[in-house]
Amino acid sequence: MAASETKGHGQHAGMWVFPDASTISQDVSEKSRTMAKPFTMALVVTGILFILAIVGFIARAADDGFDEIGPWGYYTAVFSMIFMVTSGAPLAACAFRFTKSHWRRPLSRVAEIFSIVGILNLLMFIPMMIFLPDLENPAGAVEHQMELRRSIWFAGPIGAPHAWNMAGVAFLVITAMAILWTSAVADMGEARRTATGFKGWLYRTLAGGWYGTKRQWNVQKAGLALLGAFYFMTVVFMHFTISSDYAQSLIPGWKDSIFPVLYTVTSFQVSLGAILVALFILRRWGGYEGYIGKSTFWSASKVLLGITLLWIYHLFAFFITFWYGRLEIEQNIIKYLIVDTYSIIFLLNMAFSFVLPFAVLVWNPLRRSDWGPSLAGLLALIGGLMFNIRIFVGSANAAPGEKLYHHFMEHVPAPAYPDIWDVFMVIGGLGAAVFIYLLSTRILPVLSIWEVKEGTLYQKWGKLHRGEYLVLGKPE
Amino acid sequence: MQEGKPLQSRQINRELLLTILNSPKWFFTTISILGMIVLVAMGAAGYMINQGFGVTGLNRPVMWGFFITNFVFWIGISHAGVMLSAILRLSKAEWRRPATRAAEILTVFSLMTAMTMPLIHTGRPWRTVYWIYTLPFVPYDYARGIWPNVRTPLVWDPSAVYTYLTSSILFVLVALIPDFAVLRDRTTGMSHRIYGMLAMGWQGNARQWKLQIIAGVLLSALILPVFVSVHSIVSWDFGMAVSVKSWHSTIFAPYFVVGAVHSGVSAVAFVLILLRYVYGWQNYIRHEHIDALARLLVVVATGWFYFLVMEILFGFYGREADEIAVRDYQFMVSPWNIWMFIFVGVTYFLPVAIWLSRSARRNLWIMSIACISVNIGMWLERFLIIVPGLARKQLLTFDWYTYTPSAVEWIIVGGTFAMVTMLMLIIARVVPLIPLYDIKEGEILRTEIKVGRVSVPATFRED
Repeated sequence: MAASETKGHGQHAGMWVFPDASTISQDVSEKSRTMAKPFTMALVVTGILFILAIVGFIARAADDGFDEIGPWGYYTAVFSMIFMVTSGAPLAACAFRFTKSHWRRPLSRVAEIFSIVGILNLLMFIPMMIFLPDLENPAGAVEHQMELRRSIWFAGPIGAPHAWNMAGVAFLVITAMAILWTSAVADMGEARRTATGFKGWLYRTLAGGWYGTKRQWNVQKAGLALLGAFYFMTVVFMHFTISSDYAQSLIPGWKDSIFPVLYTVTSFQVSLGAILVALFILRRWGGYEGYIGKSTFWSASKVLLGITLLWIYHLFAFFITFWYGRLEIEQNIIKYLIVDTYSIIFLLNMAFSFVLPFAVLVWNPLRRSDWGPSLAGLLALIGGLMFNIRIFVGSANAAPGEKLYHHFMEHVPAPAYPDIWDVFMVIGGLGAAVFIYLLSTRILPVLSIWEVKEGTLYQKWGKLHRGEYLVLGKPE
Repeated sequence: MQEGKPLQSRQINRELLLTILNSPKWFFTTISILGMIVLVAMGAAGYMINQGFGVTGLNRPVMWGFFITNFVFWIGISHAGVMLSAILRLSKAEWRRPATRAAEILTVFSLMTAMTMPLIHTGRPWRTVYWIYTLPFVPYDYARGIWPNVRTPLVWDPSAVYTYLTSSILFVLVALIPDFAVLRDRTTGMSHRIYGMLAMGWQGNARQWKLQIIAGVLLSALILPVFVSVHSIVSWDFGMAVSVKSWHSTIFAPYFVVGAVHSGVSAVAFVLILLRYVYGWQNYIRHEHIDALARLLVVVATGWFYFLVMEILFGFYGREADEIAVRDYQFMVSPWNIWMFIFVGVTYFLPVAIWLSRSARRNLWIMSIACISVNIGMWLERFLIIVPGLARKQLLTFDWYTYTPSAVEWIIVGGTFAMVTMLMLIIARVVPLIPLYDIKEGEILRTEIKVGRVSVPATFRED
């Protein structure tokens, strides 16, 4: 049984955990095998939500078809919300591994498992390819209209943007899965000896050649670094294309170079938020208290605070530039997305993405707890959902039909309210993502066992003068 | 294994105070030469003020040139101080210790130098008094109902820069108090009295240390928004101008801030290499520190490059004729396209290629080349934003023009580099450019952990 170490000096007490390296594998395997009642309940509830999402999707398709993007605004928003989390979370694991932060060790696998949920994104993206309007104006060169609407793809290449986006999303999911496999191969290699049934077969198949030789460890670490760097570039690129193709380019006259950055920052914020919430649940109810120390929440909360500040900074940089310019073309964008049409959603977005998380995270006592950062993470998730609804529903309904090919938005449109199918798709879509995540935790150990074991080698209590302090090693 | 040998407190005092208590032979010669260059630059500025802007290359429509480029450049360099000091202090990065003081002081001097540029650029510097004061004896403009437009970034700008300058000076002084006390105890006469005054009764008791640490952390946290606001506002000097199409971009604020950090941290790395060479501080500024700075720079440079790509891409995205004209001028017309090519190469591809190699990161000559390369590139960046944008500002082609800097502008800009170097050397005679107490603290906290047969560098963590 892992033990939580509470001795030590001052703030260290209860912050760091010192698990017993000799029993981690067995203990975590046992925890993965047993299925607590609340977990089963969560699985059932999210499974039902998944079904609701499918019902909503079928009903929407039957009612409206795939010819217009307008009715699919809420669907796109929930896709983007899940995409933000699933694409950003594996990156968190890579980034904190890259910076050699010890506190990240219990967080890595929790983050990487989100890559499995990426499969849902891939499936959801198929209809999105169909309802995205063409770049070329179907009416041709009409007066006061553009022959080719504004897009990051300009006049090509062939298949742009639909096929390229699909390829990008698929590539991203595959890379994320590759990171997960590379990271988990050592744990699966160890677990295959004791695992039986489907799990045993899966572990033997996926970790067949793993024996933990020095060469294999070196290759694994180099692989994680390379995949991480590659993944980072792919994520940033895909955030750029999705945010441009499904948002910016659908609102005539919206030329905003900071928006892809804001989208990426929001993705980092919500993915870290989701990780913190998952960690909190695992620590509080999953029996992982002896592995997930408060130091993880404390350190991650500082990163979340930084990202939250970056979010508001980027939003302000957009707003002030458009607001100050007083150009009609830009004023209409602000009216539509911020001060008029979607003002309530914008205020909710501001409150949940910045004001409330900031208020929570700025307090040291709250950040030192496990629930404070998790609460901030939950708030950021709600804020992220508001952001996606505001942007993607707004974009999908800004310029229906031939208006999409106008030079700019001449009138500020009315908001698009959700109908019952939209509600089904939004709530059900989120439920489906949680359902897949929960199922994934049944298959893979939710703790990166090798990383936690490695961490125990680099931390100890040491005497300095009259006190006893934490000593942390940092290998080159 | 820890890099570098353990240092004793006395040794640290002796070696780091050497620049203050003794002057090397080259010191006065170098100061004299730099002082001469500064005097020549001041003479050039005087000549320009006397003769008017006709002696510069500035002309319609390019009314901003070398001076404003240089202003933005020095503001950018100033970002290194806070980046290294405040952020790394808050994140408790151990390798920050030898770099913070030099970075903070570089911030102060580069800010001071930056502020001279708009003053010179006004052509009539004394008139700036009308912008600032509401004194009864300078009522000229107010009497005619002319007031500064507080809604313009050109008014926000000095406010932000002076706030940053004030807080940076405070930041440096608070961090210097324990070192002033060390100097107070090692000097006599007038120096003793001055250092004693600056040390403000520092005795090094537990309460004073606690307060000093709290003040440092608080100032670090408070100065960060100022740091971000300064270059953001500088960027809005450009971004708010809707008439210059290539400037009116929402990404300018973070793009400028990241660029500033890129150039500033490169400058600090170069200054550290120079200090190591000039003062023989091999025990303090070790390869690991330069290596860590270079790794940080890979991330910063890549972030900057991403912003650059976004800025250019969205310039084309709008497909508006007037913006395309600017981009065409930047990318297709010689010599601007050559400068553009050089700028991207020396700011990103060359240095990052260097920094990806561990052996190159630990070779101080190669690192110096990379850091200088970044700063040449970042100077060019500002130049290539300002001039082509203005050269193609007008809608009608007969109003298009270009810009060629005059000798006067070259001399003034060159003088600013001499001025910052001179001020850095002078301050090295007055305060230790590596914080004594920070190094001592690092020595106390550093230890090792044995993992199998390997010793891994480790530190005691206080929180």
